[in-house]
Amino acid sequence: MSLEERHASAVEFQFPRQTLVSILIFAIAWEALSRLAPYLGIPPFAIPSFITIGKSLIQITPIDVAVTLARVIAALIVSFVLGLALAMAMYSSHALENYLHPMVRLLMAVPVVSWILFAVLWFRGVEFRIVFVLFAVCGPVFLVDSLDAMRAVPRELRGMMRSFRPTTLQYFAKLMLPAIVPSIITSWKINLSLAIRVVTIAELVGAVTGIGHQLAVAQELFSVADVFAWTLVLVVLLFLLEAVVIRIEHRLLRWRA
Amino acid sequence: MSVSGPAPIEVQDLRKVYRQATTGQSVVAIDKLSLTIAPREVVAIVGQTGCGKSTFFDLMIGLEAPTEGSIVIGGKTPYGDFDHFRGQIATVFQQDRLLPWRSSLDNVRLPLELIGVAEAAQRERATAWLERLGLKNFTKAYPHELSGGMRQRVAIARAFVVQPNILLADEAFGHLDEVTAAELRETFLALARECGSTAILITHQLEEAIAVGDRIAVFGKSATLLADIRVSQWEKSEHAVLREAIQATLQGNQPDPRLRRT
Repeated sequence: MSLEERHASAVEFQFPRQTLVSILIFAIAWEALSRLAPYLGIPPFAIPSFITIGKSLIQITPIDVAVTLARVIAALIVSFVLGLALAMAMYSSHALENYLHPMVRLLMAVPVVSWILFAVLWFRGVEFRIVFVLFAVCGPVFLVDSLDAMRAVPRELRGMMRSFRPTTLQYFAKLMLPAIVPSIITSWKINLSLAIRVVTIAELVGAVTGIGHQLAVAQELFSVADVFAWTLVLVVLLFLLEAVVIRIEHRLLRWRA
Repeated sequence: MSVSGPAPIEVQDLRKVYRQATTGQSVVAIDKLSLTIAPREVVAIVGQTGCGKSTFFDLMIGLEAPTEGSIVIGGKTPYGDFDHFRGQIATVFQQDRLLPWRSSLDNVRLPLELIGVAEAAQRERATAWLERLGLKNFTKAYPHELSGGMRQRVAIARAFVVQPNILLADEAFGHLDEVTAAELRETFLALARECGSTAILITHQLEEAIAVGDRIAVFGKSATLLADIRVSQWEKSEHAVLREAIQATLQGNQPDPRLRRT
């Protein structure tokens, strides 16, 4: 097998048979329960059939999906850039690390709901509130993961790199950043699902657009079908974003055995 | 790419003291070492494990500062004038220390990238060095796809690609099988001579030191210089005696009388 073939086989697509079967079982159980609901004394709106959910899905407003998606991506990029920059600064300066590390740990212990309440009380703009909450939640994860990964770069590689006398910028660009890519990818995967959940809650509380807002509207209308439809959109959105990250992971980590 | 011509390496009263993190006690790794190495000379440094060879290696690279004394090369010190030696000092380590995410070609290109050589020239020079080291068909291979010997060849190409004034090798062939090690040693020596580099090889293998070195510096405890041997003063037929004398010097931690001719 040539090198190229080996690389290709590593990223070969596998049909997700088991996943589809488990989803199908859930769907059948849901539909059966929906039809049996009147005989079980359950109100009809509580477990809507897939036809009703389908109608709700058709009425999904793409603008709300786009708004939520944009908020998640923008906030994650800001969190990633600032988290990584701070991690690099903390790696370079022990004094800075000694001051900032306890503070970061403290921030990570604050519950998401508290951040949302702080944002609502402190800031007027909805977008700023949401970015603030997502940054407060996801930023420290990027920072801590990146810093830990930098510390874990083998001493031998650091010594080899320094022996060639790189500038500080070259040291990070040629050694540290490529070395921590696997950790960064893992952080992105963790933060994606975290961000989707957090942005939904934040929109639920203080926004007039986005999926979270639509969920709040569905709740007011007692529409389980709408809640189901919007939740389905959120899940699909998360899977799509994860698929993009996995695609990038395969591209960036193709050197791995 | 050499910034300035080769200059002698002058090690004067070099002393390095460490404080142990666990006990807080001071450990003298190098004690008053003085040694002068002429340009283009190949010097093998032998000594027992823990005698301070690797500390000397780190001081030569400039990764650490001496506690006392100095290493001066052309009026500059590797630690104090760290950036001055960019592209002038290259190293081959015990393990290849290749970057696993870079192909062979990109690993060899690395030192050229750091000194700002244009990308086309980087590729051309790195390819040429890989070809010289018999890796023409492996330029795109990642380190994990290569054998230990091949990886060390890439590491040697990476060291030579900048055509350094000073080459440092720390137990560079010790982990390879005998045949591969001998082959790479010869290649390394030939390339060092061709590039006109001053080479310092740290080794614990006496055969290797005798085969490679113009001189052999025998380090005792705390890198005290027990003997400074000019190999050319020994006939090939006397190499077995030389080996025994160095062995006796290392074991007794004092110069063996048979080494007095040097």
